[in-house]
Amino acid sequence: MSRIVVTGLGIISALGMGADDTYARLLEGRSGIGKMKYLKSKHTDLPVGEVPFSDEELREILFIKEDASITRTSLLGAAALREALASASLLPRDRSWKMAFISGTTVGGMEKSEQYYYDFLHTRDRDEYIALHDCGACTDMIGQANPYGFEMMTTISTACSSAANAIILGANMLKLNRTDIVVVGGTECLSKFHLDGFNSLMILDHEPCRPFDKNRNGLNLGEGAAYLVMEREETARQRGVNLLCQLSGYGNRCDAFHQTASSPEGEGAYQSMMEALAMAGLQPSDIDYVNAHGTGTPNNDESEGHAMMRVFGDHMPPVSSTKSYTGHTTSASGGVEAAISILALIRSFIPANLNFSEKIDSLNFTPVTEVKQEVELQHVLTNSFGFGGNDSSCIFSKIS
Amino acid sequence: MSIYIQSASHISIQKPLSEEWMEMPIIPDSFFMKSEEPDYKPFISPMEARRMGTLVKRALVTSADALRKGDCEMPDAIISGTGLGCVEHTEKFLNAVIDNDEECLPPTSFMQSTHNTISSQIALRLKCHGYNSTYSHRGTSFDSALFDAFMQLSLGKIGTALVGAHDEMTPDYFLMLSKLGYWKTNFYTLEQLRKGEEGGAISGSCSLSMLLSMQKKDTTLCELKDMEMFYRPGILQSRHAINDILLRNKLPLSEIDAVVMGLSGDQDNDDVYHELRKHVFQNTPMLWYKQIFGESFSASSFGVYVGAVCLHEGRIPYHLFFNPDEADNFQKEPKNILVYNHFHDRDHSIVLLTK
Amino acid sequence: MENLIEELKKEIIEVLNLEGMTPADIDENAPLFGEGLGLDSIDALELIVLMEKNYGIKLQNANEGKEIFKSVKVMAEYINAHRTK
Repeated sequence: MSRIVVTGLGIISALGMGADDTYARLLEGRSGIGKMKYLKSKHTDLPVGEVPFSDEELREILFIKEDASITRTSLLGAAALREALASASLLPRDRSWKMAFISGTTVGGMEKSEQYYYDFLHTRDRDEYIALHDCGACTDMIGQANPYGFEMMTTISTACSSAANAIILGANMLKLNRTDIVVVGGTECLSKFHLDGFNSLMILDHEPCRPFDKNRNGLNLGEGAAYLVMEREETARQRGVNLLCQLSGYGNRCDAFHQTASSPEGEGAYQSMMEALAMAGLQPSDIDYVNAHGTGTPNNDESEGHAMMRVFGDHMPPVSSTKSYTGHTTSASGGVEAAISILALIRSFIPANLNFSEKIDSLNFTPVTEVKQEVELQHVLTNSFGFGGNDSSCIFSKIS
Repeated sequence: MSIYIQSASHISIQKPLSEEWMEMPIIPDSFFMKSEEPDYKPFISPMEARRMGTLVKRALVTSADALRKGDCEMPDAIISGTGLGCVEHTEKFLNAVIDNDEECLPPTSFMQSTHNTISSQIALRLKCHGYNSTYSHRGTSFDSALFDAFMQLSLGKIGTALVGAHDEMTPDYFLMLSKLGYWKTNFYTLEQLRKGEEGGAISGSCSLSMLLSMQKKDTTLCELKDMEMFYRPGILQSRHAINDILLRNKLPLSEIDAVVMGLSGDQDNDDVYHELRKHVFQNTPMLWYKQIFGESFSASSFGVYVGAVCLHEGRIPYHLFFNPDEADNFQKEPKNILVYNHFHDRDHSIVLLTK
Repeated sequence: MENLIEELKKEIIEVLNLEGMTPADIDENAPLFGEGLGLDSIDALELIVLMEKNYGIKLQNANEGKEIFKSVKVMAEYINAHRTK
């Protein structure tokens, strides 16, 4: 079976817009988490990973008309998609290739719905946003904002592993020759609904999050979008484009333990990492870096840590959670962190895990606390876990 | 290598967990039809049920029933489609956010509001660690889930898959979508629906689960031969896609015994199907199903279900024919059925079923 | 105190949707979690909301609930001592 290669990526998060800005901030070790600026929540004491552009600025950057109705989730997605397509040298209106667009999101257009809900039910002033509320509508809007002829679209909604599962579906489509090129990832913007939801579960830290730290106290909610362009190797060679890396393995497993909590031994996480390794034909010792899900909640980091100990034993590769930079971008996180993992792979660095000071008692490892440069990476693994035990892992490898 | 639909089970406008609609369909008598609920007690204890919304309960029951009928204890994959997720809980949480000014919010409702709660609660019940995913792409959410399962079965990654489609309609969401012209505003007879001279459809809610696997048994409903999904095709591309799928499976159009379409009595929606009829399916008997199951983001699943049951039983009941005269002339046992659905002429899907 | 315990039992049944249960079914000394009533961590979150909404008691950390929700009686005593409404 031919290899699945990544030929483009686009990313927008609290670290800014584009791969270069993201890379620069990761090297600097400067987090994007801070006080909310655009989100109108009363819980201003909660730090968030907000994308540093207003809706108006995003519209301007994307040439979207002032009066066109569009949700922030779609704006973020459109920004990431534009970069991804350009970096894969895909030209607008080029119909030589069959392309599919698979995007993950969970709260979709909620950030507008929560503002206009009264109008939805009692006036006719905001009717256009009713149709933009659902997850599928966001994908459709993003696809439309870019004049590429996607021949198929769909939307995955598995909470915080949505984007990772989009990568998996896209890879399966390519393997079966169901399309030539897939654009896969996810998008999610901050909303009161989402912030208040996580807050009601009491898993938000009032300080910047501290993944894998003994005294970690929850996550910071973030927003963002990221997409990868993937194709079969021969398509990419035929197109004569730069191959960034290959997707060598992936796994999707369910923890089946609890609706919001992960099992103490991290069964789903363990199985999804093992499945990805098996598909890639790799040993755990081949993995040079793990971009962990690492939300910073007491439950996730301990559970994921145990799962990693089961996979890697005493030979834990360098581990970091870049959620300490971006916050938890939920449905987008699988894409955002895949993009960061690929940047690490091709630009030979390991991003740091910020705000770490003390090891978790029951774990045998500590995360990388300083950015490491000029490190030769062959294989990187990234985890994305969602509520309901939706656990997915992807492995990206240098093209040999 | 063949992929089969082993079993299916539904809760809808029709009698739940039953195929009685083949003989005695319930004809909608309103434009906002409620589901016929089964007795949940034998399936779910009150202690378990206390946090569940209606939709999750329905999904658990149809899943359990489909697994039982298909004689499968543990599927390799659980994949659901839901256009809107658990609206009941989403609205409860959203209203609380607005009314309580972001204070004292119900955590259970937030937890139950995410779309993937359906697939994950099915997994939780079965203790199923296998592949688990959820699609939420408007009217082709189910088709996406089916496509995922179909591809993974084709790749040999899994051997069985529980695929579902689950959507509910609350009064508030009904009202919102009414403003966009989704629903009829009056009661319509079947005859009026057939004419499809006005906008809007009959709102239904839907929970359907089916089991796919690679073994053919006596109880197997039909073979899932192939499927395709595409975006904003236009009539020319639709025709190409239909030709492609038939060619790939070495079937001339003349061997397609019937085409199931998502005709709903909504003029804009139905026009797409009438165009297809005119340009592709001139001589293929046309079936419909939304006149008895209603319209919802999960409705397309009933197109596949109806086709599968007809193939299994070797007959097509009179009431499924869109044109009564085609019913009168239809004598044979159906062998191949094509299911064609679209959502707002954006996302289209074709599913090829054979006996 | 007896009144508060009775009131609390009713509220717990309502907020946790314990269908078919009456206040008489809840032993005020039995543990709410695990063995006794069989509640779990999500129920604990709902009880935290209940305390804030009905009695004006705000917990900062879900872990604080562990001690307070030992039984209905312990909970009532805590509410009695800390209520602001």
